[in-house]
Amino acid sequence: MSFKHQQQPLALLHEQKSLFRSRLYFALGFVILLFIMLIGRMIYLQVNNFQHYHAMSEGNRISVEIIPPVRGRIYDRNNVVIADNRPVFVLKFVKNDIKNINNTLFHLKKTLPSIPDKVLKKFFNKLKLANKFRPLYLPFSLNEKEAAHFSVTSYQFPGITLTAKLKRYYPFGKSAVHALGYVGKINQRELKNLDLKSYQGTEVIGKLGVEKQYESLLHGYPGIQQVETNAKGRVIRKLETLAAIPGQDIQLTIDIELQKYIEQLVKGQKASVVVIKPKSGEILAYVSEPGYDPNLFIDGISQKNYNTLLKDAGRPLVNRVLNGQYPPASTVKPFIALAALEHNTIPFYKKIKDPGYFEFKGHKYRDWKKWGHGEVDMEDAITQSCDTYFYKLGLDLGIKKIHNSLYPFGFGHTTGIDLSGESRGILPSKKWKRATKGKSWFKGDTIIAAIGQGYFLATPLQLAKATATLANRGKIIQPHLLKEHLKNNENRHNSNPIAKKQTQIEIQKIRNWNRIINAMGKVMKGPHGTARAAGRKLQYPMAGKTGTSQVYSIGKEASYDAKSVRKNLRDHSLFIGFAPINNPEIAISVVIENAEIKAAPVAVAITNYYLNKIKHHEP
Amino acid sequence: MHINLNFKQKVYRRNSGLLNTLHLDGWLLLGILLLIISSSLIVFSASSGNVAVLERHLIRVGFSFILLLAFAQIPPNIISFYTPWIFGIGMLMLISVLLFGEVGKGAKRWLDFGFTRFQPSELMKLALPLMVAWLYAHGTFPPSKSKIFSGLALVIITAGLIIVQPDLGTSILIAMSGLFVIFFAGLSWKWILAAISLVSASLPIVWNFYMYAYQKQRVMTFLNPESDPLGSGYHIIQSKIAIGSGGIDGKGYMGSTQAHLDFLPESTTDFIFSVLAEEFGLIGVLLLLLLYTLIIARGLYIASQAHDNFSKLVAASLTMTLFVYVFVNIGMVSGILPVVGLPLPLLSYGGSSLVTLMVSFGILMSIHTHKKLLKT
Repeated sequence: MSFKHQQQPLALLHEQKSLFRSRLYFALGFVILLFIMLIGRMIYLQVNNFQHYHAMSEGNRISVEIIPPVRGRIYDRNNVVIADNRPVFVLKFVKNDIKNINNTLFHLKKTLPSIPDKVLKKFFNKLKLANKFRPLYLPFSLNEKEAAHFSVTSYQFPGITLTAKLKRYYPFGKSAVHALGYVGKINQRELKNLDLKSYQGTEVIGKLGVEKQYESLLHGYPGIQQVETNAKGRVIRKLETLAAIPGQDIQLTIDIELQKYIEQLVKGQKASVVVIKPKSGEILAYVSEPGYDPNLFIDGISQKNYNTLLKDAGRPLVNRVLNGQYPPASTVKPFIALAALEHNTIPFYKKIKDPGYFEFKGHKYRDWKKWGHGEVDMEDAITQSCDTYFYKLGLDLGIKKIHNSLYPFGFGHTTGIDLSGESRGILPSKKWKRATKGKSWFKGDTIIAAIGQGYFLATPLQLAKATATLANRGKIIQPHLLKEHLKNNENRHNSNPIAKKQTQIEIQKIRNWNRIINAMGKVMKGPHGTARAAGRKLQYPMAGKTGTSQVYSIGKEASYDAKSVRKNLRDHSLFIGFAPINNPEIAISVVIENAEIKAAPVAVAITNYYLNKIKHHEP
Repeated sequence: MHINLNFKQKVYRRNSGLLNTLHLDGWLLLGILLLIISSSLIVFSASSGNVAVLERHLIRVGFSFILLLAFAQIPPNIISFYTPWIFGIGMLMLISVLLFGEVGKGAKRWLDFGFTRFQPSELMKLALPLMVAWLYAHGTFPPSKSKIFSGLALVIITAGLIIVQPDLGTSILIAMSGLFVIFFAGLSWKWILAAISLVSASLPIVWNFYMYAYQKQRVMTFLNPESDPLGSGYHIIQSKIAIGSGGIDGKGYMGSTQAHLDFLPESTTDFIFSVLAEEFGLIGVLLLLLLYTLIIARGLYIASQAHDNFSKLVAASLTMTLFVYVFVNIGMVSGILPVVGLPLPLLSYGGSSLVTLMVSFGILMSIHTHKKLLKT
């Protein structure tokens, strides 16, 4: 080896050169091979998977923001907004921009102490699992002062921005809550039955009342906004917008001024009042007292508030108009009397002696007047509300005719109002007793049914409908709340289709109807009329009928607090009526539970208020 | 071979004059200039049209080009003469980095001289292959066993000093530049295969005992980037989206939404290839690879034509080092190699690696243009 070092033979030199050269060729081959591999990779990415990466790139660039539709507003019959949308301030969180979630929320609580710890804790857990770039809203609305306070200190909260959102608002609070209902957060069960596409971005849904009934009109359809966003999710520019279709505004038949007036009249009572336009079936007032504030439910009611409502002895959550089933008591007498006249059971002027009771098979059925009304004909029996007369009349008429005559007035079946969950009441019959009680019918059952007691139950809404039907001389109307829906303030005369369903009760003699109605007029004005005290101030001829049902609270007794039942042993006070007699504009039913005030004066006040003040303002 | 000679003479004739006087190689220069022009355009686009970035880039390109010119003037024998000194200084710097280096991104890599910060590992990218070549310059090919071992020792010590910084990626690449010299000196295939199997066998040990968490993370992410799409796999996914969405003809110049909307990380430096692929598509990629092939082929040709062993080994190993950088970068951004912080030669926004690169091109040109002078 050592000699080679001095002088390398030419052959060896050549060999060395070719060794180096072969290594160069190998290197070049290696380079080309690996470059071909890279090209293969590029073809795989750019040609074979182009569509995939193209879509991902567009997905990166373009993000779709859902624009939830603005919920339709609800107006009363005079275009007063009774369910509105109000901007509220909320905090929007983009997780990616928040350095330390825990510290940030802690600091936020210090800045805005009114945010409940519970809300923050729940939100913290939600935020931890959330997508980095998708904005999340803290479920808490800030008032203006808090919003201002936050914006001043907002530099301390990177990733949190103050934004405005529309939220349902019921400006009249408790008023008409049982008709209007409310919206609330969509729950899991509702989610299953929803068209998810149209509810993207929507947080609330109609839970009760009109809000639930007309959800499909009020909701609308969401829009889409395509925006170009950068890697931090920040919007760089807006690309394309597909506007949301706002929900339709709807107008109700309710007159909110009248509603408030009535609520004032029966304040502190457990009462229900239905005011209806007999000609159309439009419900002018729908009062179930006490009420509750629907605004509490929008963000999800707190357990504390909900318990308060549940434990309230007045049971504000019960919709008395729709679900309160009361013995109609003497208020059914005009209908029984009419049935007897139409069936020629008894002549109108035939007098009956009332000793204070009616005896049948050794049992005494007592009149409310211990010493009796003396000799009474049908008109006297209605004006003085003579029970003895009707015990006998009922027995003569028989339960079958009572049932068949009262059924068309709406007793015993739902009125078909545009609200769900309506109670049917009970119009007793032989068939009904056998089916539900498994017992046969006794004549005694008929006797007490004739004065609206016993098995007989009716809702205030049914009473109002029956009254309106009587006022209409047999024209059956359908009570309803939707006046018309307003398509962006066009097509204003898109009247409610259910309002058109009208039928007529077959009339034997119109004289019979007028005689009954006149007798009801004497209830208000006659010298012995049971409502003569209330009717004294009447400026219009008004037909009415009082009723008193003995203590019987609505609902199942089991759910009642025994103490409160004992406290509330007073009778219920009922009243039905309409005015004016010859051209009825208004029909009313009033039920006051364990009455501290009488129902008749309430009805008279309503009629006066409506006919004097409102009627003249209506076109 | 005969044709090659004729070709060479032709080129010389054509370029005689200015290029010859300046000791520049026409083909290499053409490739470099084309890449620098592309680089300026793409850096401008990747920075969303930031003129200040472009200006700084051009200044750095200009400065490093002056270095290229300067080194082209130094004959290879002078470079060879100073090689042990350069290597010695490099080693001292590596040691001082470990003792008083500045910490940046979790690793000690920088030396602060007051007026400028310097990464000694950059210097070693050149010094190590020069040193190993210097070692093998006198003697036969293939070198003797003892020389092979001393060459390997140089490689291992240098790479070791860089690994502990810690900078695994750079140390592997620097080690490769030294190993290329040993390969070109004619290390027998038996040894090469033995070495490869030894390295593969030791990988699990290295993984378990010598790798830092972030390095393991990079490898894991490389193996399955989608496992952590918003964490460390994010860069690779976004880079693949950029490349793939370019398609065949690209989104057009300044059309890289991935870079402009900040989805692509380090878009002017390590991930510049993705911007090019997004804007110019497969066609742009093919043209770029063609340019690199031109430069690499020319470098290997220069090696084949060099007259002394030192020049041959230096030219071949510098060229192959360039190739490794290109391959590793493109492989990384297209998701076939793990992420190592490494710019794409001549295309990325200029940094210290551009300086090293231009100096190595200067040395290549010097090798090619000074042999006539050595020839008698």
